[in-house]
Amino acid sequence: MPSLLEGTVITLELSALAITAALILGMVIALAALSGRKAMTLPAGAFVQSMRNTPLLVQLYLVYFGLGMIGLGLSAFLSGLIALTAQNSAYIAEIYRGGLQSVGRTQIEAGKALGMRRREIFELIELPQAFMRVVPPLCNQFIQIIKDTSILSAIAVGELMHQGKMLSERTAATYEIFIMVGLFYLVITSIVTFATRSFERRFAIAH
Amino acid sequence: MLPEILISNSWLLLQGVERTLELSIATVLFSSAIGLLAALLRTFGWWAFRVVVDFYVYVVRGVPLLLLLFFMYYGLPYSGIDLAPIPGGILVMSVYFGAFMSEVFRAAIEALPRAQWDAARSLGMRLPLILVIVVVPQAVRLSAPAFINTCILLIKSTSLVSIIGLSELTMVGRQIVERTFAPFQILLGVALIYFLICYSLSRLGRYAEKRTRYAH
Repeated sequence: MPSLLEGTVITLELSALAITAALILGMVIALAALSGRKAMTLPAGAFVQSMRNTPLLVQLYLVYFGLGMIGLGLSAFLSGLIALTAQNSAYIAEIYRGGLQSVGRTQIEAGKALGMRRREIFELIELPQAFMRVVPPLCNQFIQIIKDTSILSAIAVGELMHQGKMLSERTAATYEIFIMVGLFYLVITSIVTFATRSFERRFAIAH
Repeated sequence: MLPEILISNSWLLLQGVERTLELSIATVLFSSAIGLLAALLRTFGWWAFRVVVDFYVYVVRGVPLLLLLFFMYYGLPYSGIDLAPIPGGILVMSVYFGAFMSEVFRAAIEALPRAQWDAARSLGMRLPLILVIVVVPQAVRLSAPAFINTCILLIKSTSLVSIIGLSELTMVGRQIVERTFAPFQILLGVALIYFLICYSLSRLGRYAEKRTRYAH
């Protein structure tokens, strides 16, 4: 039990760090992708496509074993955090982009007709409307990140999944331990879902 | 262009690709069947079925695939159910992605305009017939973009069965790395192969998205 709780703490740490980093990096990538300048859209697009179309596990091995081989050895925790952030920032960038693009053209034209500047239109019209639309898909992505931290057990980051597996090898109470671990994940992801739902309800804007 | 180390190991990598594709195709087929059934039961079934489907989707949504794989691989043998890794892996992944597929199909069924239902009812059709000739064919078409996204996630997730010792592409890559000590070249090669498979599928998804948009 104590080792499972210890693992849960590490899972939560990893998730919180990866979510924060991916939210920020995703915004940078989304803005680059929407900038309309080839020098920025091309690398942003290449990053998103290469992250979305390769497995997290392979990226993780590349960071952990690949960088280690050329003398840039990172700790398992840091390697995992980098891989988690890289993969999920690509997904989050796409969520932001979808949200911004879903704001109707007429909204932007109305802003222009009122004599607003490009920046004002972005900050006062596009961003607030896009914000509410990205909350539900972001919630899904947060859950995905929390679940994906389990993959880091493959390089022995001592998070929940890894602790569960080690405990089951030591005690042979495999059934009970894995069900326990599953319940831990279920509780964490349920809390996230519940929190975003109530957030959505509180900040819902009437259309 | 390609490093020699990839060429000299290309035979092994190809065998890995073959296994990955086998796993992916089988899982896509089974999970689609599970997903379609679950979506229909959830939308049109008796209330007890709805509760069961909701519970299934809730659990799968909240639990990592890797945990389910471990459960099958390390847990089930204790209760006398000893599945071989390949069918076991396909089974677990199908159950896992079946829940995602059911959400994909459910969204498409719910996106179908009410007028389609009204038209079918006014022609005197009953529920089974409406489902078979009106709802399912259109819903499947509507769900194409989301379906392909789920397939890409699924193909990427087959890499996880390497952790329980199945020698698909990722596992083969790791084995070659252990032998050659060239992680960068080999793993980039492996990533490139996944990229080629998934990216071509995502182009197909784009095309499907355009087609479904024109359908209205």
